Amino acid sequence: MEINWSAVLGIVFTPVIAFLVGVTYGGLTRRITARIQNRFGPPFYQNILDIIKLYSKESNINHGVMQHLGPVFAITASVTTLFFIPVIKDSPVFTNFSFNGDLIFLLYIMVFGSLGMALGAGQTGNPNSAIGVSRGLSQLVGYEVPFVMALVAIMVQFQTTSLNDLLAVQDHFTKWIIFQSPFAFLAAILAFLGMMGYAPFDVVIAPAEIASGPPSEFGGKYLGLMLTSRSIFTFAKLVLFTDIFLGGAHDFITLIIKTFILYMIPVLTGIVFPRFRTEQSIRFFWSWPLFFGILAILVVVF
Amino acid sequence: MNKNLYNENQTIEEIKNTFHTAEIKLQRESRIIVKLRSDLIPPFLSYAKNYLAFNHLAHFSCVDWIEDNEFELVYLLYSYEKNIVVIAKTRISRDKAEFVTIKHLWRQAETYEREIHEMFGINFTGNDRLNEFILEDWDDIPPMRRDFNTIQFAKDNFYTRPGREDAQDVRETITKKSGEKIPDFAKEFSVRNLK
Amino acid sequence: MFNDKEASKIVDIIKNFARKHSLWVVAYGTGCGAIELPPTMTSRYDAERFGIRGSATPRQADVLLITGYLSVKTLKRVIRTYEQMQEPKYVIGFGSCTINGGMYWDSYNTIKALDRYLPVDVYINGCMPRPEAVISGFIKLQQLISEGKADGAKRYRENLEWYRENQRKVIKNWRMPEYNW
Repeated sequence: MEINWSAVLGIVFTPVIAFLVGVTYGGLTRRITARIQNRFGPPFYQNILDIIKLYSKESNINHGVMQHLGPVFAITASVTTLFFIPVIKDSPVFTNFSFNGDLIFLLYIMVFGSLGMALGAGQTGNPNSAIGVSRGLSQLVGYEVPFVMALVAIMVQFQTTSLNDLLAVQDHFTKWIIFQSPFAFLAAILAFLGMMGYAPFDVVIAPAEIASGPPSEFGGKYLGLMLTSRSIFTFAKLVLFTDIFLGGAHDFITLIIKTFILYMIPVLTGIVFPRFRTEQSIRFFWSWPLFFGILAILVVVF
Repeated sequence: MNKNLYNENQTIEEIKNTFHTAEIKLQRESRIIVKLRSDLIPPFLSYAKNYLAFNHLAHFSCVDWIEDNEFELVYLLYSYEKNIVVIAKTRISRDKAEFVTIKHLWRQAETYEREIHEMFGINFTGNDRLNEFILEDWDDIPPMRRDFNTIQFAKDNFYTRPGREDAQDVRETITKKSGEKIPDFAKEFSVRNLK
Repeated sequence: MFNDKEASKIVDIIKNFARKHSLWVVAYGTGCGAIELPPTMTSRYDAERFGIRGSATPRQADVLLITGYLSVKTLKRVIRTYEQMQEPKYVIGFGSCTINGGMYWDSYNTIKALDRYLPVDVYINGCMPRPEAVISGFIKLQQLISEGKADGAKRYRENLEWYRENQRKVIKNWRMPEYNW
């Protein structure tokens, strides 16, 4: 049997790169937030130090099997999501497992991480976790609807469900889907705000209100796993959006520029906004983003 | 100073006409002190609330007059219409520390009564929530009574870090400066005597 | 190549560096000292540049910051909070009330020396300590961590009998759950 060594290389290195980029983005976010609030802010590698510290905790309390498995599910979902997204366009190394029809598969697998976290949080028995999980799943229902609408519009417009085909369509920057189907982009980017969990949609992990919600009983390596998973998942989502709307990237520098610009949208929105309650955020997702999603489908169909 | 004390004088007049035994004193502008017999307090509060428009129970506290063997209960009522505070005072015996509740007049009095019950040990008949409130697992005499020896209690129960033995008795310094005499009961609890 | 001792030394250096620069604080703010923490965290003094960050729950925290006096009732809660934290964990006593009772030295309901009940790593004196003093206390803790001297959790585990005896003496009705921390 012949082994495709470039694919193996991609599988090894993609999660590492995703983690490093995601965690650096997280640190930069804290820095940017601090500068906007007229503070100096932590160094950009602060989140890496936090995660090393969490992994080096000497005692890790757990309340049962699911608390071990919850963070593992989350990180599995993040890495799996990442593997089915072509990170670099036309590269034999970083195309990974993306096959025809993977957009629908991604829609399923992206929810899996939240469910794993919900299961882990349910095991701890902390009431704050339960409240956080119920808020998180309600909000999930909120932003999934416009997101799916946007993706359906794109699938109908280009008659494909494959990310590779979508990438092949956008061979010139005038043909990027953000220009070809702007309403779908609007719906998807508004759903993306909710997906990233920054303010105004951070009611799930509201620290002053429900003591950081689902991970309130997680300490040490469990929290470290969750933060790692979050970093990788952030990068995966950014690459997915870049691939769908911004034409992907031929090299890492383009990828970093595009994902960073995309990442700044929820971050900068989050800094200036206060927090929505759960029903307010669902009402938001089901008004303008949903409207844009329906508009995108109508434009495509007629 | 020429202040318009019309509201105050009128209130005093009305109280005087209703409660002949009350000792009434106009402390200053918008402060009236009314001293009453203890059995007249519930009718007085009810009268002040319903007829004189003193709607607000601003405060309710207690003073321990250990020399007279009495507790003094102090009710502060405020009227938004007249902008006057009426301070109703009464004294009850220290041996039989019991009084009637006024929670049917103001619901917040229940909390004040719980606190006074815990801190002074006064039993308010009719208030059924006089359970443990702020202090947890307290089994000594109530701590705000003046026969409770705070310093001795703190010494017995809590570890004192060495280095604070030179804590000065402030009262002695103050008496030296002002020429005021320390009463005997206060000398008993002075820091110097406890050493 | 490295032998085991050298390798573990390098790992220790990395660990201590990360621990030192990532202190998540759970601030127990019932005393008046809690008011000094908002200026410490916000733009004027900005403790986040040293990696000091508030944490929402004791499970996630590294530092228990006790701001001000502790009455017997709050001591109970503080002990429970401390025992829920994950090791390595540090305690900072904040203000003269935690050191020798401060102005509450003759109170019937406040403890006067925190280190009899919990293993304190750093004391910050003053009444109140200003944000500069708070940050200097944190930097002292960072020094202790990098030297490996901040071993409060170890001390607590080894001398648990002594700490428990002191705690039980103050908390008369002992109804504390047993934690498998």
